[in-house]
Amino acid sequence: MMSVNRAAPLDRLMRPLHRWVWADADRRLRKLVTFAEVETDGGRDILRAAEVTPDPLLRRLYLEHAIDELRHGDMFRERGAALVRARRTMRPVLLDGNPLPGGHGLDDLAIEGEPDHRLLAFLHVAEKSAAGRFAVYRELVADDQPTQEIFEKILRDEVFHMNYTYTQLTRVSPEAYRRHVWHARAKRLWHRYLRAAAAIAGVFGNTLLRVIYFVALPPFVWLAWRAERREPAGFIPIERTRGERSPRSQY
Amino acid sequence: MKILGISAHYHDSAAALVADGIPVCAVQEERLSRRKNDAGFPLRAIEWCLASAGIDPGDLDAVVFYERPMLKFDRILTSTLRAFPRSWRSFPQAMKNTLGEKVWVRGIISGQLGIAPQKILFTDHHASHAAAAFLTAPTRRAAILTADGVGEWATLTVGDGERRADGTTHITLRREVRFPHSLGLLYSTFTAWLGFKVNEDEYKVMGLAAYGAPTMLEEVRRLIRPLPDGAFALATEFFEFQTTADRSYSAKFIDVFGPPRHPYEAIDLDTAEGRHFADCAASVQRVLEDTLVGIAATLRRDTGLDDLCFGGGVALNGVANARLLSDAGFERVFVPPAPGDAGCAIGAALYADRIYLGNPDRDVPDHPFWGPVVDGAHLARTAHEDGQHVEAFPDQVLVDRVADDLAAGRIVGWMDGACEFGPRALGHRSLLAAPHDAAIRDRLNRDIKRREEFRPFAPVVPAESADRFFDLPSGAARLGRYMSGVFPVRPEWRSRLAAVTHVDGTARVQVLERQMAPRLHQLLEAYGRRAGVPVLLNTSFNVAGEPIVTQAVEGYLTFRRCGIDVLVAGPTVVTKRAGSASLKESREWSSSSAAASTVA
Repeated sequence: MMSVNRAAPLDRLMRPLHRWVWADADRRLRKLVTFAEVETDGGRDILRAAEVTPDPLLRRLYLEHAIDELRHGDMFRERGAALVRARRTMRPVLLDGNPLPGGHGLDDLAIEGEPDHRLLAFLHVAEKSAAGRFAVYRELVADDQPTQEIFEKILRDEVFHMNYTYTQLTRVSPEAYRRHVWHARAKRLWHRYLRAAAAIAGVFGNTLLRVIYFVALPPFVWLAWRAERREPAGFIPIERTRGERSPRSQY
Repeated sequence: MKILGISAHYHDSAAALVADGIPVCAVQEERLSRRKNDAGFPLRAIEWCLASAGIDPGDLDAVVFYERPMLKFDRILTSTLRAFPRSWRSFPQAMKNTLGEKVWVRGIISGQLGIAPQKILFTDHHASHAAAAFLTAPTRRAAILTADGVGEWATLTVGDGERRADGTTHITLRREVRFPHSLGLLYSTFTAWLGFKVNEDEYKVMGLAAYGAPTMLEEVRRLIRPLPDGAFALATEFFEFQTTADRSYSAKFIDVFGPPRHPYEAIDLDTAEGRHFADCAASVQRVLEDTLVGIAATLRRDTGLDDLCFGGGVALNGVANARLLSDAGFERVFVPPAPGDAGCAIGAALYADRIYLGNPDRDVPDHPFWGPVVDGAHLARTAHEDGQHVEAFPDQVLVDRVADDLAAGRIVGWMDGACEFGPRALGHRSLLAAPHDAAIRDRLNRDIKRREEFRPFAPVVPAESADRFFDLPSGAARLGRYMSGVFPVRPEWRSRLAAVTHVDGTARVQVLERQMAPRLHQLLEAYGRRAGVPVLLNTSFNVAGEPIVTQAVEGYLTFRRCGIDVLVAGPTVVTKRAGSASLKESREWSSSSAAASTVA
């Protein structure tokens, strides 16, 4: 059976960072809320895979997998709710998602149009990576028994997910399954690079737009304020000419 | 002449095709992408519309977008400027959102469909709402009222429409209320403050309102000031939606109404806090109703017309619609099955056909079933492959069999023909159950819909029996046609309709005429013969957070993973087989042989 007790080298390397995240109650709550959304979205994506696959066995397996993911989402959500109740925390940051512009559930994987072998390879790699990371988290939340139990239960499910995806991959693509797994890994790396690049570009873009906001907009601000003061309150008659505007006009 | 209408980019995008003046198909993108309230460019919906009509994009005479993107950009930019310097955080996001895609609609449509830019037309957002409400209603002349969060600048418009004997159609919107003064955004602000999702969960506020008393009326009225001309103005210091996309209420709002509810915390109506939330919901609901009734009554006086066509997202508020019918002086109120932005796809296409292109008036079929058709054979095949118990019956036998199941307390997933256009399940993609037992309601909430306990379920009743069970004023049956009004359940029936009677004794009833959904009508009669009450609980066939099912396989997988007992599509009936083994238990998936072969 595939081991879920050993974390990936990268996760082992990042253990101090993970410890820092899980040590703080607010950050812990934020993590749980994010996981709840990611697991639920992932579950819906896998459900979609079950809907579109022509393979009856895969349909059943995807369905079980989706049910697991949706349940994981609920478990994280309920634990998050319990922490909220306990702390009565109301920081907006708790509801922020992942700061990196990312995908819906399965990392922007387009379910429709993807052959099953590609999806299976992707799921196998993703589940393996998640299991390694969750194994680290399980250790780091030793002081929080209910959260630790959640990771414990999820890790048991991950064994099934990793195994069935791999077994089915060898079934649907016996000749090239190894290549598909490597391809999925490469694609995952590429997506991570794209997300990081998009985040960096976003920072540059925001900075530039804020410079424009403070440097170029003020004269127009004055005009906008003046127009606002002149605007009548209540009903405004709609000019008859509006109906005669060109249907091709976007204004 | 073939005209494609598109609504997109804000929430619930959709496409609709009008051929020779009559809608032939329409579908929301979410029903095909399976992402609730999908706001993306509705390419799947467009492709489905074209395929189901058997045409290519090149055959289209026009493509109409439901609003004017640059005018909307004008509003967003101006609002940002007016909020200077408080808008410094939201400015980059607003610009990236808008300039990234939303203002390039002509290019996107032209590029995606490969058609000439000259064929792409635009309507005003509220003109699309008005057309969706007026041109789909069986009336020749009507006053028109539209209200939503915001379109380009307008948030509410009043006017009138006429379909003349010479075949010409006129829609005249005469006055408007402009952003930031918006009834829709007032309601959405409370939706957000109550911890619900904006643009999605407003109906939860309406459901919650029934549990409270409008004790916070004075406080809510500090937020919205009536004006001498019958309009209203929001006190903008209580709101932040005009300055940021992050939060719609201000610190001053919190000073008045208290801290917002955390979305992860359940509303407990047994606590003072829970009751306070319910009271606030009741108060904003009352203010919304009073404001709408005031505006509509003035409109009735000004136009002298008997009919009102009401469109825009606010028209999804069934309690307010019933108040409009009873208090504004109109004899009939028409609300389309998709009054929100999705419905603008049909509205924009019809507006272009009648108004821009001057095509002659045509009666539009009075039903909501414009989407993909379910395939019973597909369900049979899928369920059979999965080892489920599958049967096929002729119509009458099937109806009797399902009526027996319902009478025995089973929950039935009912898929029939083309799916509905709009947010309501009106009998083609419904979960049906017996209406008498509150335990069934609780089971539906707990095992299937997984939603808040305070939210009511709706009943469906044949038109000819509706008055017996529900206290329907004149004109109510029309609102009930598309489940657009909330009316009292007659007191003597409340205990026998416990699963569909809300805490305040009302129900959002669907009044079903035989010709609209004959099979469901037949089922109601058959159930009535068994239970003595031809009323069923009718709720949308979906799980919380997911769109209503469209195809057979989507219905089947929903059936498989939650507590639905029986699934019907066309002639096919699937009954859940108890105790089917989980594949997870199979040795194959936990064997070391599978694991050992992992690629390092």
